[in-house]
Amino acid sequence: MHYHHTIKIDSLRYSYRETTASPVLNGIDLTAGQNEYILLCGQSGSGKSTLCRTLNGLIPHFYGGFLEGYVRIAGVDTAIRTVGDMLQMVGMVFQNPESQLFCSTVEHEIAFGLESLGLARSEIKNRVMQAAEILSIAALLYRNPQTLSDGEKQLVAIAAAIAIKPKLIVLDEPYANLDPSNVQKVRYALKEICRLEMCILISEHRLHYTLPDVDRVAVIHEGRIVIDTPPALLLPGHVKEYGLEFLLCGHGEEKTETHVPPPGDETVLSVEDISFSGNGIPLLKDISFTLHRGECIALLGANGAGKTTLLKHINGLYRPDKGKIILSGQDTSKMKIPELARYAGIAFQNPDNQFFRLNVRDEISAGADALNCYDAKWIKRLVNLFGLEKLLKRAPYRLSGGEKKRVAFASALASKPAVLALDEPTAGQDARFRHSLSEFLSDLAANGVSVLLATHDLLFAKQNAHRFLLMSKGRIISEGTPGSVIADKTAMRLAGLMPFERMENDV
Amino acid sequence: MTFDPRTKLILSFYYSILVLFSYEPLPLVSEWVFILLLILMTGKTKESLRWFKTVAPMAVFFSAVVWWSADVNSAFIAGFKLINIASVFFAFFISTSPEDLGNALVKAGIPYPVAFVMSVSLQFVPVMARKAGNVIDAQRSRGIPIGPGLKAVRYIHVLLIPVLIQSIRLAEELAEAMESRGFGRSGRTFLNEYKMRPADWIAVFAGMLLLATFLFLQRYI
Repeated sequence: MHYHHTIKIDSLRYSYRETTASPVLNGIDLTAGQNEYILLCGQSGSGKSTLCRTLNGLIPHFYGGFLEGYVRIAGVDTAIRTVGDMLQMVGMVFQNPESQLFCSTVEHEIAFGLESLGLARSEIKNRVMQAAEILSIAALLYRNPQTLSDGEKQLVAIAAAIAIKPKLIVLDEPYANLDPSNVQKVRYALKEICRLEMCILISEHRLHYTLPDVDRVAVIHEGRIVIDTPPALLLPGHVKEYGLEFLLCGHGEEKTETHVPPPGDETVLSVEDISFSGNGIPLLKDISFTLHRGECIALLGANGAGKTTLLKHINGLYRPDKGKIILSGQDTSKMKIPELARYAGIAFQNPDNQFFRLNVRDEISAGADALNCYDAKWIKRLVNLFGLEKLLKRAPYRLSGGEKKRVAFASALASKPAVLALDEPTAGQDARFRHSLSEFLSDLAANGVSVLLATHDLLFAKQNAHRFLLMSKGRIISEGTPGSVIADKTAMRLAGLMPFERMENDV
Repeated sequence: MTFDPRTKLILSFYYSILVLFSYEPLPLVSEWVFILLLILMTGKTKESLRWFKTVAPMAVFFSAVVWWSADVNSAFIAGFKLINIASVFFAFFISTSPEDLGNALVKAGIPYPVAFVMSVSLQFVPVMARKAGNVIDAQRSRGIPIGPGLKAVRYIHVLLIPVLIQSIRLAEELAEAMESRGFGRSGRTFLNEYKMRPADWIAVFAGMLLLATFLFLQRYI
């Protein structure tokens, strides 16, 4: 079939419900040619993911709803052809690394789409090898995908998409769950793919990861493409207006200084020389630090550095093999987990792991109820602090990602602990959320709550923490003020965290 | 060379029948030693040990129940039958990938979606176990006592609701990913070749003859 554009979208309107009211996409026009690398950006809820799903016909075929207008990929109307038919035209890579791989080996995973196409065995073998070589994952071919790191999983998903040799590759927030070094790996892989005569469309809200790589930026806001421009012409005003994130070197330096009030002298948590191993593998080695009242310490490190393992020691989910932990003046080894929950709260990365009540109000107080320490005044303060007044009667599972996180934070604080541990609170969240989280953190500090912030988000940590503990392979390899740790280039590289300058010039 | 997955499955069933009709300690033990050698030949010692650690207590418990209701001899035989059958299917699963099993079943006439769902479910057992572990950690962290003990029953929904909702979401996301990779298309081919070679047929018929001979001897001697 003859066609001029790889992507041609004409006045597309879409609503997940069968009515025309409150459309998620509200009049999208977008065209893209062969070989173009396009960034689709916009804040959470702007319609990025929805637009991605129209490109291979998942919308409307898989989701139903009401669709008006046209989406044509290489001249083919996605509303007329099935998702299976679009396979040769469009390769999709999704946000969540663990739920898009479903075979027992990487080889089968890459081969799956080729098998669907009904190719001959020899051709399948060739293409699997080719795709694996382009993405440098040939060494992983016989591994089980579920045992790979999140970055490797994303590379496998991309390999599976390019093996088909489609006209268009769509990636829906592929970096959301990755740490900086894995982001760099995937960025590098995408640059390689640019040479393959495929059009690439990537959705992401963190411009510093994508802007240097792409040919064009399309900003989506409230279901419309509001800006479509070469990256060089994107203005700081646009970035601010549409809630995007862009970290510019040398700009906004004053904003990256911490604005959290200074901590007090009283020690609330003291970790004394703890080591821990699981299944014979050492996970933590000789960790010591103290946390003061109202202080915020960032535990920094790549995925797998031992941050979450360390947090789980604070409230007794794990017990150290060696060393001890003193929490609010008491040795935690003699205390049970429910008892410890009064002194230290943890909000894990995925709030869906804890919701079981019908409304937000009950969800927040569930822990306090179980501990018989429900304090109506304190809960009310938490509700105000996290801006949850209007959500109290909503069902927790129906909230947006950022709202869920706020409920989880409030719930971790419901029993009035002196220490709050946050595990990757900014993962997959947009600028708006990060901004309000910064405010919560300074309010908490003012209330005397001490915070342990486990993250690989260097920028956010720099803005909010008093002190950094840099972790790598279960050890603390550098500690001190944010400035001094970032200046320790050897340690930063060892920990797999690129200092800011490199984000600009890298790849 | 290795056998076709279908051959391996048929041989495993023969073996289970053989075990079920063995009533003496000596044949049972020698049958088990044979399977044990097969497992050791795969070289997956670590997985085998971990698996044995979970199966052994079950077999001990099972024999204890039989001992309590019958006698020592029956207990020994019952326990060994259980271990034997578990071992042969363990040997089958470590030597056959879920895809090979699923795809071979498709070749044997089972509809592709059915075979596929079976092989994918096997993949996601460890994933779901990890998710359940995360839920337990999250709930205990805020003071809700789920974990071993009587109180656990009272708080079972605290574990079940998040796990259930997340598995539904996982299923939806997986369905979307599979659909995008052409799950629903007809005319699927397979990366691996599934073909009953002469050796497969010989193994299937020889196995059947051996089994019949054994059952005959068992009955009349």
